[in-house]
Amino acid sequence: MSATRGSKVSERVAPKAADPQPARKKHDDDDGPGFSMLFRAWVEAHRASLLDSLKRLGKQPIGSFFTCLVMAVALSLPMGLSLLLNNVERLGGSWQRAAQISLYLQLDADSSQGEQLSNQIKGMAGVADAEFISREKALEEFQQQSGLGEALKELPDNPLPGVVLVTPNEVDKATLEALRERLSELPKVQQAQLDLVWVERLAAILKLGDRFVFGLTVLLVSALLLVIGNTIRLHIENRRIEIEVIKLVGGTDSYVRRPFLYMGALYGFGAGVLSWGVLAFGLNWLNDAVVGLAGLYGSSFALAGVPVADGLSLLLGAVLLGYIGAWIAVARHLRELSPK
Amino acid sequence: MIRFEQVGKRYPNGHVGLHELSFRVRRGEFLFVTGHSGAGKSTLLRLLLAMERPTTGKLLLAGQDLGQISNAQIPFLRRQIGVVFQNHQLLFDRTVFNNVALPLQILGLSKPEIAKRVDSALERVALSDKTDLYPGDLSTGQQQRVGIARAIVHRPALLLADEPTGNLDPRLAAEIMGVFEDINRLGTSVLIASHDLALIARMRHRMLTLQRGRLIGDGEAAQ
Repeated sequence: MSATRGSKVSERVAPKAADPQPARKKHDDDDGPGFSMLFRAWVEAHRASLLDSLKRLGKQPIGSFFTCLVMAVALSLPMGLSLLLNNVERLGGSWQRAAQISLYLQLDADSSQGEQLSNQIKGMAGVADAEFISREKALEEFQQQSGLGEALKELPDNPLPGVVLVTPNEVDKATLEALRERLSELPKVQQAQLDLVWVERLAAILKLGDRFVFGLTVLLVSALLLVIGNTIRLHIENRRIEIEVIKLVGGTDSYVRRPFLYMGALYGFGAGVLSWGVLAFGLNWLNDAVVGLAGLYGSSFALAGVPVADGLSLLLGAVLLGYIGAWIAVARHLRELSPK
Repeated sequence: MIRFEQVGKRYPNGHVGLHELSFRVRRGEFLFVTGHSGAGKSTLLRLLLAMERPTTGKLLLAGQDLGQISNAQIPFLRRQIGVVFQNHQLLFDRTVFNNVALPLQILGLSKPEIAKRVDSALERVALSDKTDLYPGDLSTGQQQRVGIARAIVHRPALLLADEPTGNLDPRLAAEIMGVFEDINRLGTSVLIASHDLALIARMRHRMLTLQRGRLIGDGEAAQ
């Protein structure tokens, strides 16, 4: 058996040994590949890495799915909170309306002057809207709301001034104060009043909300990076021998790193798709209850779903996070993977 | 091809792997490095593969100073070297074809070129009919030949082998050595670390003898 094998080797090798081209010459022939060849090789290497990563994830479908699911939950929490806040903002009309500036006009300003002033203000920078309430309308509303209708009829003149309600574009305290200052200098304006306490409270609430969402995002993004990093670390451990061999036969760090980066990005993509689905399903599930509640208050309010732009941002962010998490994990472990 | 000039290797724990080793290997030469366990054979191979760096002296491989080479250059240096291990270091989840193709995939060659070269390398080690099998389906000798095919498929200028016949019976060992000689005839320098003196003596090639990290003999192996 061995003799046969031995002679087989010799027979096969002999003609090759007679090859007049020395090995070095053959080597030189391979030098200087063109750009298109290098580009094709680069594309082929990436394609192979991507397919290899997909195949490896496919070999462990349940494990891969649960990793994506954990990442999806971590992504869904801040994203879901942000979407809910957007919906609450819509429910309350707008935050800007809560920070209206009331311009009390001089008593001698008539309705046409008030309308004119209102139109002028609408064209000013930093103003979203302006609405004029005449003296007569103001008295009418006051009589209805105060319950002092009869007493007010006894008054010889209407004591209430005309009012222009200005809705600003921004809720920033300094900007509002500057706007109030400018409005107070307009002709026929007796007093410009801004409920700064309420604005300050609103700004504080918004700041708190922002910080909460930011903190939660940072926390969950860190958790996500840890999850992906740990998952990739396990993949690296399972392929330790392969990596050592690749390095010994001339594989560069980027060659070793590439399939793991694709794997991280694929985990991210899977998590992004799942998260988008979870959020769309969750908002749809909540919507029935919200529509019912709003109906009791005579409102037709309904929750908005996940906007496509937000969904795509979520997907892109998830892919990037997966990629970055994998990069960090590989960078940390690559040095330990020198051939032994 | 290879030049050792007073090369020494001392490890951080104080152990000295090699003492001021000096010798040269010409292009296309076939030589053995022998010595008992701990003589420094593996350290010598590790230095040539840039897995470690010399602590003293100068080690040149194809004109490159391995003491000064940057980490980024090491993979490109290794692409000029083929390496065969005692334990084969094959990837058992890949077919014979894919094991042998690995160095070529790293080089970024096209699929047809890879197929051509892998077929040629497997033909040289008489395993053309095993391309689709997995290493686990092969005998130890066949696995070693797959390892050799992988080491020569990218046509390296230098082939290193660390105890390549250590796990083989004498008959298979002789067969594998025959494959190395065939490869050497194509112009590849071959350096084999082995302690099998009987086998080395039969082959009549240059032999370096190491003892406790020192070179104590350099000449043709005697029968």
